[in-house]
Amino acid sequence: MEFVLDRETPFSFACRACGRCCSGKVIMAGPHEVLGMARHLGLSTTEFHALYTDNGGTTLRFDEAGRCVFLNGAACRVHPRRPLVCRLYPLGRATDGAGDEKFARFPKEEGCEGTFGTDGTVAGFLESQGVGPCVEWSVRYAELYRRMLGLLDRLGVEGRVETEAAPGPVAPASSSAAGGPEDRSPISPWQDIDASLAEHCAAKGVAVPESVEDAIALHLGAMAEWLDDLETRAGGKKPEPEGEKR
Amino acid sequence: MGDHKEQGSVTRRDVLKLAGTAAAFCTSFGFLHAGQKVGAVQDKHIVQDKHIQAKWEQTEIRWYAGSTLLHSASIPARVAKHLAANANATVEVKVFQSGQLLRNLGSIQGKH
Repeated sequence: MEFVLDRETPFSFACRACGRCCSGKVIMAGPHEVLGMARHLGLSTTEFHALYTDNGGTTLRFDEAGRCVFLNGAACRVHPRRPLVCRLYPLGRATDGAGDEKFARFPKEEGCEGTFGTDGTVAGFLESQGVGPCVEWSVRYAELYRRMLGLLDRLGVEGRVETEAAPGPVAPASSSAAGGPEDRSPISPWQDIDASLAEHCAAKGVAVPESVEDAIALHLGAMAEWLDDLETRAGGKKPEPEGEKR
Repeated sequence: MGDHKEQGSVTRRDVLKLAGTAAAFCTSFGFLHAGQKVGAVQDKHIVQDKHIQAKWEQTEIRWYAGSTLLHSASIPARVAKHLAANANATVEVKVFQSGQLLRNLGSIQGKH
Protein backbone atom coordinates (compact mmCIF):
# COMPACT_ATOMS: atom_id res chain seq x y z
CA MET A 1 0.00 0.00 0.00
CA GLU A 2 1.34 3.40 -0.94
CA PHE A 3 0.19 6.61 0.70
CA VAL A 4 -0.08 8.69 -2.44
CA LEU A 5 -3.66 9.97 -2.44
CA ASP A 6 -4.67 13.40 -1.21
CA ARG A 7 -8.08 14.87 -0.46
CA GLU A 8 -8.63 15.98 -4.05
CA THR A 9 -7.81 12.60 -5.60
CA PRO A 10 -10.77 11.09 -7.48
CA PHE A 11 -12.16 8.29 -5.31
CA SER A 12 -15.44 6.67 -4.40
CA PHE A 13 -16.46 3.50 -2.64
CA ALA A 14 -19.95 2.08 -2.69
CA CYS A 15 -20.14 -0.03 0.47
CA ARG A 16 -22.67 -2.88 0.41
CA ALA A 17 -22.37 -3.44 4.17
CA CYS A 18 -21.33 -7.06 3.72
CA GLY A 19 -19.22 -6.85 6.91
CA ARG A 20 -16.25 -8.70 5.44
CA CYS A 21 -13.85 -5.88 6.28
CA CYS A 22 -14.74 -6.28 9.97
CA SER A 23 -12.77 -9.54 10.32
CA GLY A 24 -9.11 -10.40 10.60
CA LYS A 25 -8.06 -6.92 11.69
CA VAL A 26 -6.66 -5.16 14.70
CA ILE A 27 -9.03 -2.28 15.40
CA MET A 28 -7.49 0.19 17.77
CA ALA A 29 -9.63 2.53 19.79
CA GLY A 30 -8.54 5.69 21.55
CA PRO A 31 -10.10 6.80 24.85
CA HIS A 32 -12.46 9.26 23.12
CA GLU A 33 -13.65 6.54 20.75
CA VAL A 34 -14.23 4.17 23.66
CA LEU A 35 -16.30 6.92 25.31
CA GLY A 36 -18.45 7.37 22.19
CA MET A 37 -19.07 3.65 21.79
CA ALA A 38 -19.75 3.19 25.51
CA ARG A 39 -22.36 5.97 25.52
CA HIS A 40 -24.00 4.49 22.42
CA LEU A 41 -24.36 1.18 24.29
CA GLY A 42 -25.44 2.84 27.54
CA LEU A 43 -22.29 1.80 29.38
CA SER A 44 -19.57 3.55 31.32
CA THR A 45 -16.10 3.46 29.80
CA THR A 46 -15.02 1.26 32.71
CA GLU A 47 -17.71 -1.27 31.81
CA PHE A 48 -16.89 -0.96 28.11
CA HIS A 49 -13.22 -1.78 28.71
CA ALA A 50 -14.18 -4.77 30.84
CA LEU A 51 -16.46 -6.14 28.15
CA TYR A 52 -15.10 -5.11 24.79
CA THR A 53 -11.42 -4.14 24.74
CA ASP A 54 -8.22 -6.12 24.64
CA ASN A 55 -4.45 -5.54 24.60
CA GLY A 56 -4.36 -3.23 27.57
CA GLY A 57 -7.57 -1.50 26.61
CA THR A 58 -6.17 -0.33 23.27
CA THR A 59 -8.01 -2.54 20.78
CA LEU A 60 -11.49 -3.93 20.28
CA ARG A 61 -12.02 -7.61 21.02
CA PHE A 62 -12.58 -10.12 18.25
CA ASP A 63 -14.45 -13.41 18.50
CA GLU A 64 -13.03 -16.88 17.91
CA ALA A 65 -13.77 -16.60 14.19
CA GLY A 66 -11.76 -13.38 13.99
CA ARG A 67 -14.76 -11.06 13.70
CA CYS A 68 -15.08 -7.72 15.48
CA VAL A 69 -17.04 -8.11 18.70
CA PHE A 70 -19.55 -5.51 17.45
CA LEU A 71 -20.36 -7.27 14.22
CA ASN A 72 -23.94 -8.55 14.39
CA GLY A 73 -24.54 -10.45 11.19
CA ALA A 74 -23.29 -7.86 8.72
CA ALA A 75 -24.35 -4.90 10.89
CA CYS A 76 -22.20 -2.90 13.30
CA ARG A 77 -23.67 -2.40 16.78
CA VAL A 78 -21.76 0.82 17.33
CA HIS A 79 -21.92 2.21 13.79
CA PRO A 80 -22.96 5.79 14.74
CA ARG A 81 -19.95 5.95 17.08
CA ARG A 82 -17.58 3.66 15.20
CA PRO A 83 -13.85 4.38 15.52
CA LEU A 84 -11.98 6.56 13.03
CA VAL A 85 -10.31 3.61 11.37
CA CYS A 86 -13.68 2.07 10.55
CA ARG A 87 -14.89 5.36 9.09
CA LEU A 88 -11.77 5.68 6.94
CA TYR A 89 -11.91 2.16 5.56
CA PRO A 90 -11.09 1.25 2.75
CA LEU A 91 -8.67 4.14 3.05
CA GLY A 92 -5.69 4.43 5.37
CA ARG A 93 -4.39 7.82 6.51
CA ALA A 94 -0.81 8.77 7.35
CA THR A 95 0.73 12.08 8.38
CA ASP A 96 4.36 13.07 8.27
CA GLY A 97 6.31 15.08 10.81
CA ALA A 98 4.99 18.33 9.36
CA GLY A 99 1.39 17.16 9.70
CA ASP A 100 0.84 16.74 5.97
CA GLU A 101 -1.55 13.89 5.33
CA LYS A 102 -1.71 11.28 2.61
CA PHE A 103 -4.14 8.46 2.02
CA ALA A 104 -3.77 4.94 0.67
CA ARG A 105 -6.34 2.49 -0.60
CA PHE A 106 -6.61 -0.92 1.03
CA PRO A 107 -6.63 -3.91 -1.30
CA LYS A 108 -10.18 -5.16 -1.59
CA GLU A 109 -11.17 -7.82 0.93
CA GLU A 110 -11.82 -11.25 -0.51
CA GLY A 111 -15.55 -11.47 -1.10
CA CYS A 112 -16.10 -7.75 -0.47
CA GLU A 113 -19.25 -6.64 -2.23
CA GLY A 114 -18.33 -2.95 -2.34
CA THR A 115 -17.21 -1.23 -5.51
CA PHE A 116 -14.46 1.30 -6.02
CA GLY A 117 -14.93 4.19 -8.40
CA THR A 118 -13.72 7.65 -9.28
CA ASP A 119 -16.95 9.61 -9.34
CA GLY A 120 -16.11 11.51 -6.16
CA THR A 121 -13.04 12.63 -4.22
CA VAL A 122 -11.26 11.41 -1.11
CA ALA A 123 -12.54 14.55 0.66
CA GLY A 124 -16.13 13.74 -0.29
CA PHE A 125 -15.76 10.18 0.97
CA LEU A 126 -14.29 11.37 4.27
CA GLU A 127 -17.14 13.83 4.73
CA SER A 128 -19.73 11.15 4.02
CA GLN A 129 -18.20 9.03 6.80
CA GLY A 130 -18.10 11.81 9.40
CA VAL A 131 -14.32 11.60 9.66
CA GLY A 132 -13.69 15.30 10.42
CA PRO A 133 -14.27 15.47 14.21
CA CYS A 134 -12.51 12.13 14.73
CA VAL A 135 -9.37 13.39 12.99
CA GLU A 136 -9.48 16.60 15.03
CA TRP A 137 -9.61 14.67 18.30
CA SER A 138 -6.78 12.40 17.12
CA VAL A 139 -4.63 15.44 16.32
CA ARG A 140 -5.26 16.89 19.79
CA TYR A 141 -4.40 13.61 21.51
CA ALA A 142 -1.31 13.42 19.29
CA GLU A 143 -0.15 16.77 20.70
CA LEU A 144 -0.38 15.33 24.22
CA TYR A 145 1.43 12.21 23.06
CA ARG A 146 4.34 14.29 21.77
CA ARG A 147 4.52 16.08 25.12
CA MET A 148 4.65 12.69 26.87
CA LEU A 149 7.52 11.54 24.67
CA GLY A 150 9.35 14.80 25.28
CA LEU A 151 8.90 14.42 29.02
CA LEU A 152 10.06 10.80 29.02
CA ASP A 153 13.09 11.89 27.05
CA ARG A 154 13.77 14.68 29.53
CA LEU A 155 13.49 12.24 32.41
CA GLY A 156 15.93 9.91 30.72
CA VAL A 157 13.42 7.09 30.38
CA GLU A 158 14.33 4.80 27.54
CA GLY A 159 13.12 1.39 26.51
CA ARG A 160 11.32 -0.87 28.87
CA VAL A 161 10.07 0.13 32.30
CA GLU A 162 10.06 -2.75 34.78
CA THR A 163 6.61 -2.53 36.30
CA GLU A 164 7.64 -4.96 39.06
CA ALA A 165 9.64 -2.11 40.56
CA ALA A 166 6.50 -0.05 41.09
CA PRO A 167 5.70 0.53 44.76
CA GLY A 168 2.00 0.14 44.15
CA PRO A 169 -0.65 -0.11 41.46
CA VAL A 170 -0.49 2.63 38.87
CA ALA A 171 -4.16 2.63 37.98
CA PRO A 172 -6.73 3.96 40.43
CA ALA A 173 -9.13 1.41 41.88
CA SER A 174 -11.92 2.99 39.87
CA SER A 175 -10.46 1.85 36.58
CA SER A 176 -9.35 -1.63 37.51
CA ALA A 177 -12.68 -3.38 37.21
CA ALA A 178 -11.86 -5.14 33.95
CA GLY A 179 -12.41 -8.87 34.15
CA GLY A 180 -10.66 -11.59 32.18
CA PRO A 181 -6.97 -11.79 31.40
CA GLU A 182 -4.71 -9.21 32.99
CA ASP A 183 -3.66 -7.68 29.67
CA ARG A 184 -7.24 -6.67 29.02
CA SER A 185 -7.19 -4.02 31.73
CA PRO A 186 -6.31 -0.54 30.47
CA ILE A 187 -2.57 0.15 30.62
CA SER A 188 -3.14 3.70 31.83
CA PRO A 189 -5.93 5.14 33.99
CA TRP A 190 -6.25 7.95 31.43
CA GLN A 191 -7.72 5.49 28.91
CA ASP A 192 -10.83 5.20 31.08
CA ILE A 193 -12.42 8.62 30.57
CA ASP A 194 -15.36 8.14 32.95
CA ALA A 195 -13.13 6.99 35.82
CA SER A 196 -10.44 9.58 35.22
CA LEU A 197 -12.93 12.46 34.85
CA ALA A 198 -14.83 11.37 37.95
CA GLU A 199 -11.59 11.62 39.90
CA HIS A 200 -10.56 14.88 38.23
CA CYS A 201 -13.94 16.56 38.73
CA ALA A 202 -14.18 15.43 42.35
CA ALA A 203 -10.76 16.96 43.04
CA LYS A 204 -11.79 20.21 41.32
CA GLY A 205 -15.29 20.29 42.80
CA VAL A 206 -16.95 20.53 39.39
CA ALA A 207 -19.64 18.47 37.69
CA VAL A 208 -18.71 15.72 35.25
CA PRO A 209 -19.78 16.78 31.73
CA GLU A 210 -22.71 14.92 30.26
CA SER A 211 -22.07 15.18 26.53
CA VAL A 212 -19.43 13.06 24.82
CA GLU A 213 -17.83 16.10 23.19
CA ASP A 214 -17.62 18.06 26.46
CA ALA A 215 -16.19 15.04 28.26
CA ILE A 216 -13.50 14.60 25.59
CA ALA A 217 -12.61 18.29 25.79
CA LEU A 218 -12.29 18.09 29.58
CA HIS A 219 -10.29 14.87 29.32
CA LEU A 220 -7.82 16.61 27.01
CA GLY A 221 -7.66 19.56 29.42
CA ALA A 222 -7.16 17.34 32.46
CA MET A 223 -4.37 15.44 30.72
CA ALA A 224 -2.73 18.71 29.70
CA GLU A 225 -2.84 19.86 33.35
CA TRP A 226 -1.29 16.58 34.45
CA LEU A 227 1.53 17.04 31.93
CA ASP A 228 1.97 20.72 32.94
CA ASP A 229 2.44 19.57 36.52
CA LEU A 230 4.87 16.80 35.57
CA GLU A 231 6.87 19.15 33.35
CA THR A 232 7.10 21.69 36.16
CA ARG A 233 8.22 19.06 38.64
CA ALA A 234 10.61 17.39 36.19
CA GLY A 235 12.70 20.51 35.73
CA GLY A 236 15.46 18.49 34.08
CA LYS A 237 16.00 16.10 36.99
CA LYS A 238 15.94 12.31 36.91
CA PRO A 239 12.98 10.59 38.63
CA GLU A 240 13.34 9.73 42.28
CA PRO A 241 12.11 6.54 43.89
CA GLU A 242 8.66 6.96 45.45
CA GLY A 243 9.86 6.52 49.03
CA GLU A 244 12.77 8.96 48.81
CA LYS A 245 11.08 12.17 47.74
CA ARG A 246 11.80 15.27 49.74
CA MET B 1 -5.63 12.46 38.32
CA GLY B 2 -3.20 15.31 38.31
CA ASP B 3 -2.13 14.99 41.94
CA HIS B 4 0.34 17.75 42.70
CA LYS B 5 3.60 17.08 44.46
CA GLU B 6 6.57 19.17 45.44
CA GLN B 7 8.47 20.81 42.62
CA GLY B 8 11.34 18.69 41.41
CA SER B 9 9.96 15.42 42.72
CA VAL B 10 8.99 13.21 39.84
CA THR B 11 8.52 9.77 41.31
CA ARG B 12 8.94 6.38 39.76
CA ARG B 13 5.18 6.04 40.02
CA ASP B 14 4.80 9.22 37.94
CA VAL B 15 7.17 7.85 35.34
CA LEU B 16 5.35 4.54 35.16
CA LYS B 17 2.03 6.28 34.68
CA LEU B 18 3.56 8.53 32.03
CA ALA B 19 5.23 5.65 30.19
CA GLY B 20 2.07 3.55 30.40
CA THR B 21 -0.05 6.36 29.03
CA ALA B 22 2.39 7.02 26.20
CA ALA B 23 2.44 3.31 25.36
CA ALA B 24 -1.36 3.11 25.40
CA PHE B 25 -1.66 6.17 23.15
CA CYS B 26 1.01 4.85 20.82
CA THR B 27 -1.05 1.70 20.32
CA SER B 28 -4.59 2.98 20.45
CA PHE B 29 -3.98 5.89 18.07
CA GLY B 30 -1.46 4.22 15.79
CA PHE B 31 1.17 6.81 16.71
CA LEU B 32 4.59 5.48 15.92
CA HIS B 33 7.13 7.94 17.22
CA ALA B 34 7.54 11.64 17.78
CA GLY B 35 8.05 12.46 14.12
CA GLN B 36 4.88 10.76 12.95
CA LYS B 37 1.41 11.56 14.14
CA VAL B 38 -1.36 9.34 12.90
CA GLY B 39 -0.60 6.20 10.97
CA ALA B 40 2.48 5.50 8.90
CA VAL B 41 4.37 2.78 7.12
CA GLN B 42 6.92 1.05 9.31
CA ASP B 43 9.25 -1.55 7.85
CA LYS B 44 7.28 -4.71 7.25
CA HIS B 45 4.28 -3.57 9.26
CA ILE B 46 1.64 -1.56 7.57
CA VAL B 47 -0.11 0.77 9.96
CA GLN B 48 -3.12 2.35 8.36
CA ASP B 49 -4.32 4.67 11.03
CA LYS B 50 -5.53 1.97 13.36
CA HIS B 51 -5.96 -1.03 11.07
CA ILE B 52 -3.02 -3.39 11.09
CA GLN B 53 -2.69 -6.30 8.74
CA ALA B 54 0.19 -8.70 8.66
CA LYS B 55 1.48 -9.17 5.12
CA TRP B 56 2.72 -12.67 4.44
CA GLU B 57 5.59 -12.95 2.04
CA GLN B 58 6.19 -16.67 2.13
CA THR B 59 4.91 -19.77 3.89
CA GLU B 60 6.79 -23.05 4.11
CA ILE B 61 6.41 -26.57 5.36
CA ARG B 62 9.60 -27.91 6.90
CA TRP B 63 10.65 -31.43 7.74
CA TYR B 64 13.09 -31.94 10.60
CA ALA B 65 14.94 -34.88 12.11
CA GLY B 66 15.48 -33.58 15.61
CA SER B 67 16.85 -30.10 14.99
CA THR B 68 18.25 -30.93 11.53
CA LEU B 69 16.30 -29.50 8.62
CA LEU B 70 15.81 -32.26 6.05
CA HIS B 71 13.68 -30.49 3.49
CA SER B 72 11.45 -27.47 3.04
CA ALA B 73 8.82 -26.58 0.48
CA SER B 74 6.64 -23.54 0.00
CA ILE B 75 2.93 -23.80 0.52
CA PRO B 76 1.27 -23.08 -2.83
CA ALA B 77 0.74 -19.33 -3.25
CA ARG B 78 -3.03 -19.66 -3.66
CA VAL B 79 -3.28 -21.57 -0.38
CA ALA B 80 -1.08 -19.04 1.43
CA LYS B 81 -3.15 -16.20 0.01
CA HIS B 82 -6.34 -17.84 1.25
CA LEU B 83 -4.84 -18.36 4.70
CA ALA B 84 -3.65 -14.77 4.91
CA ALA B 85 -6.99 -13.38 3.82
CA ASN B 86 -9.22 -15.52 6.02
CA ALA B 87 -8.71 -15.54 9.75
CA ASN B 88 -10.89 -18.63 10.11
CA ALA B 89 -9.32 -20.61 7.24
CA THR B 90 -7.47 -23.79 8.12
CA VAL B 91 -5.07 -26.14 6.35
CA GLU B 92 -5.09 -29.74 7.55
CA VAL B 93 -1.94 -31.84 7.42
CA LYS B 94 -2.79 -35.48 6.73
CA VAL B 95 -0.60 -38.46 5.91
CA PHE B 96 -1.86 -40.93 3.32
CA GLN B 97 -0.66 -44.27 1.96
CA SER B 98 -2.19 -45.64 -1.22
CA GLY B 99 -5.06 -43.22 -0.83
CA GLN B 100 -5.80 -44.31 2.73
CA LEU B 101 -5.56 -41.84 5.58
CA LEU B 102 -2.92 -42.98 8.05
CA ARG B 103 -2.88 -40.01 10.36
CA ASN B 104 -4.18 -36.46 10.73
CA LEU B 105 -1.28 -34.37 11.98
CA GLY B 106 -3.39 -31.35 12.80
CA SER B 107 -4.28 -28.07 11.22
CA ILE B 108 -2.79 -24.63 10.60
CA GLN B 109 -5.09 -21.71 11.18
CA GLY B 110 -5.12 -18.54 9.08
CA LYS B 111 -5.16 -16.39 12.20
CA HIS B 112 -1.69 -17.66 13.08
